[in-house]
Amino acid sequence: MKLYFRLVSALIKGVEPNDKEKKRNKIFYVVMSIIAGFGIMLPMAFFVGIIMYTATGALMQNGTQENGIEMFLHLIAVFSFIFGLNVFFSVFYFSGDIENLLPLPLKPYQITASKFTAAMISESVMEYLVIIAALAGYIIGGNMPLYSWLTAIIGTLTMPILPLIYCGILCMAVMYFTRFIRNKDTVNKITGVFTFLVIAGIVYLIAQSGFDSGKLIDALSNPENRLLETMNIIFPTIPLLTGSLGNGGILNFLMYIAVNIVAIAVFMIIAQFIYFPSVAGVGQSMSHKGKSADMTEKMHQISCSASYLKKELKILLRTPAYFTNCVMINFLVPVFVYLAYLINGQTNFLDSFIYGIRSGNEETVLIFMIGISAVSVLVTALNCIASSGITREGKHFSFIKYIPVSYMTQINVKAAVSIIISGAGMLTGVIIACLLLNTGIKFTIFCCLLSLLSVSFATYLGIYMDSINPKLIWDDELNALRGNYNIFFNMAIAIVTEAIICAGAYLLFKFTPTGSILIIIMLFVILMILNAVSYLLCLRGGVKNINSIE
Amino acid sequence: MSDVIRSDEGSETMIKIENITKTYNKTVKALDNISFSVKGGEIVGFIGPNGSGKTTTMKILTGIIKPDMGKVTINGFNIREDPIEAKRSIGYIADNPDIFLRLKGLEFLELIGDIYKVPTDVRRSRTKDLAEKFGLTDALGSPMISYSHGMRQKIMVIAALIHKPPVWILDEPMIGLDPKSAFELKQLMREHTKEGNAVFFSTHVLEVAEKLCDRVIIIKNGHILYDGTLEELENQNKNKSLENIFLELTEK
Ligand SMILES: Nc1ncnc2c1ncn2[C@@H]1O[C@H](COP(=O)(O)OP(=O)(O)O)[C@@H](O)[C@H]1O
Ligand SMILES: [Mg+2]
Repeated sequence: MKLYFRLVSALIKGVEPNDKEKKRNKIFYVVMSIIAGFGIMLPMAFFVGIIMYTATGALMQNGTQENGIEMFLHLIAVFSFIFGLNVFFSVFYFSGDIENLLPLPLKPYQITASKFTAAMISESVMEYLVIIAALAGYIIGGNMPLYSWLTAIIGTLTMPILPLIYCGILCMAVMYFTRFIRNKDTVNKITGVFTFLVIAGIVYLIAQSGFDSGKLIDALSNPENRLLETMNIIFPTIPLLTGSLGNGGILNFLMYIAVNIVAIAVFMIIAQFIYFPSVAGVGQSMSHKGKSADMTEKMHQISCSASYLKKELKILLRTPAYFTNCVMINFLVPVFVYLAYLINGQTNFLDSFIYGIRSGNEETVLIFMIGISAVSVLVTALNCIASSGITREGKHFSFIKYIPVSYMTQINVKAAVSIIISGAGMLTGVIIACLLLNTGIKFTIFCCLLSLLSVSFATYLGIYMDSINPKLIWDDELNALRGNYNIFFNMAIAIVTEAIICAGAYLLFKFTPTGSILIIIMLFVILMILNAVSYLLCLRGGVKNINSIE
Repeated sequence: MSDVIRSDEGSETMIKIENITKTYNKTVKALDNISFSVKGGEIVGFIGPNGSGKTTTMKILTGIIKPDMGKVTINGFNIREDPIEAKRSIGYIADNPDIFLRLKGLEFLELIGDIYKVPTDVRRSRTKDLAEKFGLTDALGSPMISYSHGMRQKIMVIAALIHKPPVWILDEPMIGLDPKSAFELKQLMREHTKEGNAVFFSTHVLEVAEKLCDRVIIIKNGHILYDGTLEELENQNKNKSLENIFLELTEK
């Protein structure tokens, strides 16, 4: 047991910055954590809590209140399963420490169990927050007894276990029975496509329900909900957990604990038998041999910036972890837009929106424009091309410093990469939307400009945020992005800034006699100022930060 | 020759480092007031046990890290005041060759060529030449992730040489090289200095330095223990092998 705790703490520390690094940026972290806490985490928790509270209240009327929370927890479980796949393939088979751990006299179940725990703790922080918020909404909404809070806390911490055990077992089984996945690139590609499909599927399902909460409540109040019954069989811990929250839940709670223990035991037994055989012969990456009659004849000089840009793009496109997390995500935007249009006619909300745009309704047009700006900023922050621009250099960060290219030039090239890729996704989305809405050329160009301005603001902000304290020590590209506080903080700042602007613009329209044209012009001006500010931040602060990173 | 500006002052002293002190995290004193210089036409070996401060010195020379105090001049340019010109004069091999592994060998060399503005024809002939010398021609079209450690090291060597910089700063360049490539590299170092350029390389292996260097600088715990030719060192310590002298020096 002592060994287990030591391994877990060693594995968690392995991915965290060392104490010295932490101390240097203590104030930065505190400030950023507060912004992130108040800007993203609390509102999100509050939002989840309120939804659960309302749903529980509505479902109480025919005594099916646990259906709502169960469905929500199942959704969380499915997500943690999907995102866990990549993580477990990586930590069980492809992380750099495997080579160091395997020769030690450790049992397979010891290695897998400690790696499992470390991964669960570091991957589930956000998940814990969402689960506890949902359970809180449920407890308050359902007038549960006081001790349910204790059960809820234990439940929150243990709920991710079962979906992640499925993940772990699936990973080991795949590696044991198949011989074709011998490198992490293949795994990243497969799980990337899989994630994309599942997310698209969920979006499609939600879109089909027509953004209509009434229908959803109806479906959930049906005591014989097929989907829910199936899910309860797949994740039996969830109905047991919700059951243990109400009166007389002790039996359910004991069973909940028992099922988890059984699952852990099964996992360890399977690991004991198949982990070592499956980990043998795993390589870091494919080696493709290219023939090269005379490759050198192809060489030719281009400008330094263009060459640097090519290098950045190639690395983003060729590294599966970056491709799925940073590039593909942008092209969800046009997919969303098109899906939303496909299901129009089924809902009043979209219908009236489309009509509003086509007829030039001031409010609708304003909302459309604000929406474009907000989504552009969100997507740019979310794809983290900018906010991981320096982080991605990792252990060879020194390259930035010893080449004879000024830091600002390099920042600008990195910014260009983010603007090109985020912009490509956004503009495709915007143009499709404008075409579908028949808005006319001038309006379309206007929207594209607005989107680009928002993208470039978020880009320079992202690079500046990353320069403050880039996470340069990682051995797996996925780790450069996962658990990277800079990316998260940047998202918080970008979202908060954009939320203030958007809310400001809308409130100005609603509660003052200011016309929509004037507000849109103001929006443009503010975005340009923000661009200038974030550019200056990079020019002054970013360059200085890079200078002082060692 | 690529378009490196040679300043008048630098024609003699190519690397000059004056009173450099570097402390990590306010506690680890990695370098304590060191000074030395390397002239054009000289191969200077930087010898010291692990952790003695070799990499730190080289990172300060290339502008990667900032010293607490002191001054660095490369080819006549101050690394702090004229960083771009100073850096343009340097060909640097870092101590870790794992860089941009998703790029093909040739793409990496193209990037380096573009950064140092090596014209197309020069680039082609040099790459062809160097790749043949190091037996890397067939691998140029493959991503570097599929290279062995030695192959990666060779690509780094080619990248540092492709722009023929007046100053070579090589951090343990022999590590991972097979005997033939190590021989080729030594040969290149000699040729390079014949043209009036400077070579400054670190090693913790004495033999490498023995035959190659015009001069050695021995460092230990951030202090320079010896700066001069190996002959002088042997003369000062009669009847002792170089290895023993080195061990005695660095074990004090
Ligand atoms: N980034 C760093 N942070 C803290 N200490 C460091 C760092 N880099 C090197 N050191 C310390 O500085 C000293 C010199 O290291 P280094 O220059 O790498 O030696 P060498 O290259 O000669 O082996 C060592 O004591 C090492 O532990
Ligand atoms: Mg070293």
